[in-house]
Amino acid sequence: MIIVEAVQQEIIKIKDTNKDFINEVIQAGGEGVQSCYQCGTCAGGCPTEYVMDYSPRKIMRMIQLGLKDKVLESTTIWLCASCNTCVTRCPRDVKIANVMAACKSLAIKEGYHAGMKEGPAFYNAMVDNMKSHGRLFEGEMMVKYFNRSGKGLKGLLEMAPLGYMMFKKGKIAIMPHNIKGLDQIKTIVANIEKMERGE
Amino acid sequence: MKYTYYPGCSLEASGKEYDMSFREVAKGLDMELVEVEDWNCCGATAAYSVNDLLSHALTARNIALAEKEGHDMIAPCSECYHKQFKTNKAIHHNPDKKDKINKALDGTGLKVEGKINIKHPVDVFINDIGAEKITEKVTKKLEGLKVASYYGCVMTRPDGIFDSPEYPTAMDKIVKALGATPVDFREFKTKCCGGPVLITKEDAAYDLTAVLLGKAKEFDADIIITACPLCHMMLDAKQPDIELALKKKYGVPILYISQLMGLAMGIEPKKLGLDKNFVDTGKVVKMFQ
Repeated sequence: MIIVEAVQQEIIKIKDTNKDFINEVIQAGGEGVQSCYQCGTCAGGCPTEYVMDYSPRKIMRMIQLGLKDKVLESTTIWLCASCNTCVTRCPRDVKIANVMAACKSLAIKEGYHAGMKEGPAFYNAMVDNMKSHGRLFEGEMMVKYFNRSGKGLKGLLEMAPLGYMMFKKGKIAIMPHNIKGLDQIKTIVANIEKMERGE
Repeated sequence: MKYTYYPGCSLEASGKEYDMSFREVAKGLDMELVEVEDWNCCGATAAYSVNDLLSHALTARNIALAEKEGHDMIAPCSECYHKQFKTNKAIHHNPDKKDKINKALDGTGLKVEGKINIKHPVDVFINDIGAEKITEKVTKKLEGLKVASYYGCVMTRPDGIFDSPEYPTAMDKIVKALGATPVDFREFKTKCCGGPVLITKEDAAYDLTAVLLGKAKEFDADIIITACPLCHMMLDAKQPDIELALKKKYGVPILYISQLMGLAMGIEPKKLGLDKNFVDTGKVVKMFQ
């Protein structure tokens, strides 16, 4: 007996695609995405594929097709551990982890988070922390992260036992270490902003 | 041999025992370390996920500072190593990117030229120093200790510069040089620890770490060694939480490779920060005291 299952196929309408999206991804550091030929090696070796909504292979194709909203609104980009298993094995030399990071940066810029506010909140808290001190000051960073991610005091309290143990073992600093070259960091950030504006 | 040393933020905090033990072991192996003057955070996965050029420019500041010293730079945290290695590769092989990076450094008085290499301690131990010299420095052979070497993700990936990105063996060779017994950790050697998704998907991160702990027990390893502070945090500091969440008991001590080397070289356990690990290391220490 042959069982034929009806597969619900999604129809992609050309009007819903964004032809510039692939270039945006490449510009943001996702070089090579255009070379993907859909072999699926990336998805096969990915340690977190089982919790993603689209596999890495699908995301590569969706970028090529210009499905900007779907890609930036997917949980996949926040669940990539950047472990580079896929990059090591890709026969087309696509730097998949860089493509995922490029998508994260576009998502952060445009306010997408796929219901995972923790991702952008953590990355922003870490980068801001580094801009203000030059090195990470974990205590302050975590407070800002919990604020931004919406986890608030509850989240902070959940972390407290680990934090206390770290403190007891002398693994958490009480004061930030500000580097002498903080002005250099500020200059770098300003230069990049200028370069991105095309100046 | 003289090196420039980039400890990185983790080694000043949660990975303090890695810094302590690495400095001790380096001294014992006659390496001279000059710390990068006024280094900054490498930006890790965060800067790279917010802005690619920012990630390259931040690491480039450290590289430019290290170039002033003129020696190869050692970065013990695998993430710091990976990010700085990647930027350094672009500086050496991608003139367009190098120009962009130097443009981002404009006005800081710093410039990258491509004069040095970025190295991981495991690379230095096995290739610059060599197993033979390590064995010479051993005063207490770690006989009878079964060790699973966990390499983690980006120490050898994606380029496999000093060891195989799929099945590396450098750490196992060091274990052997110390007189201990390497346990074949198979594909789990480089399987992701889940650390980077701890924030967005805690249960998946726990699952991934639990696989490593479970396999180490299954393969009858006494301890796991790591060479990355994030892997170490997941396996060591989070081990009690993982046991609680998954209702399992592992109790596997997790040592940094430099802590294990230090023990075999007869360095005092306190100097190696062996009291700073979360899972008790007392049993291992007692075996060789």
